[in-house]
Amino acid sequence: MSQDDDKWGIAHVHASFNNTIMTVTDLTGAETIAKSSGGTAVKQNRDEASPYAAMQMADSIAEEVKAAGITGLHVRVRGPGGNLQKSPGPGAQATIRALARAGIEIGRIEDVTPIPHDGSRAPKGKGGY
Amino acid sequence: MRVAVTGTPGTGKTTATELLESRLADKDADSEPALEVIHLNEVLEEEGLYTEVDADRESKVADLEALADWLEGRDDAVIESHLAHHFDVDRVAVLRCRPTDLEERLLERGEREAKARENAESEALDVLLAEAVETHGLESVYEIDTTDRDPEAVADALGAVVAGEREPTAGDVDFVGYLE
Ligand SMILES: Nc1ncnc2c1ncn2[C@@H]1O[C@H](COP(=O)(O)OP(=O)(O)O)[C@@H](O)[C@H]1O
Ligand SMILES: [Mg+2]
Repeated sequence: MSQDDDKWGIAHVHASFNNTIMTVTDLTGAETIAKSSGGTAVKQNRDEASPYAAMQMADSIAEEVKAAGITGLHVRVRGPGGNLQKSPGPGAQATIRALARAGIEIGRIEDVTPIPHDGSRAPKGKGGY
Repeated sequence: MRVAVTGTPGTGKTTATELLESRLADKDADSEPALEVIHLNEVLEEEGLYTEVDADRESKVADLEALADWLEGRDDAVIESHLAHHFDVDRVAVLRCRPTDLEERLLERGEREAKARENAESEALDVLLAEAVETHGLESVYEIDTTDRDPEAVADALGAVVAGEREPTAGDVDFVGYLE
């Protein structure tokens, strides 16, 4: 299969302290292709093995995405679950790995974590982004 | 002892610690207060302890090393700032607020929409809570949900943290629904 035959979408991964949700859209971001709803989100009991929950969510999303003819996903990660090494949530890393295992090609991974700020903010690289 | 009071802008840190400050002053009216309350944003402004200005966010980029130096020797303090968890402290109180309410509080305080929105998203994603836990461990973090609490009640909760009358907690709130 050539690059041209591939259809790409964007996976928006929101990874908080103990929860990860994901929405897949087309490349413009306008059309939602798949979504982990509040009810089926990876609500973590931090004592449970977290990568398993992330995998379950990624597997069901991957099925919907493939059914829509999408073969590859760029990933936009928001949230500390995306980068903090010791973050107890399932995090973005496990979710991305699970998507890849489910047969989705992974493209660019971009971190768009918001920065808390008032009159001051922390320097970049300090904290969760 | 040093206690950090951190939390996304708009969670009510300044309001609650001002109340705490006057309570501490009342209690120790005849002597030096046991704990000094430090509003770190004021220090950053007055001492010029920042490296550059983030023009998009109209926000000064903190010089964390210079702030840490300034804090050196101030060992009995309540440090109030959304940067407070970046320093050497014994306990970290993390104030929380439901993102829609936080956004409203910030808009009411006169902040611009983009600022209110980015802070509400940060709150929804637990950015500062995760940083606090990452840096200080679950055993040192005390999460306080301010959503339906008035400032006096938040000051009570802070007082309990300072007095060692509370167990550490983290991750009891779940605000990601805001992002859906
Ligand atoms: N417990 C509370 N409940 C409702 N509103 C509050 C509370 N604490 C503070 N506020 C209001 O929210 C805004 C932000 O409070 P502030 O203390 O400046 O927060 P911070 O210092 O964390 O940025 C202010 O307008 C304040 O009056
Ligand atoms: Mg303040």
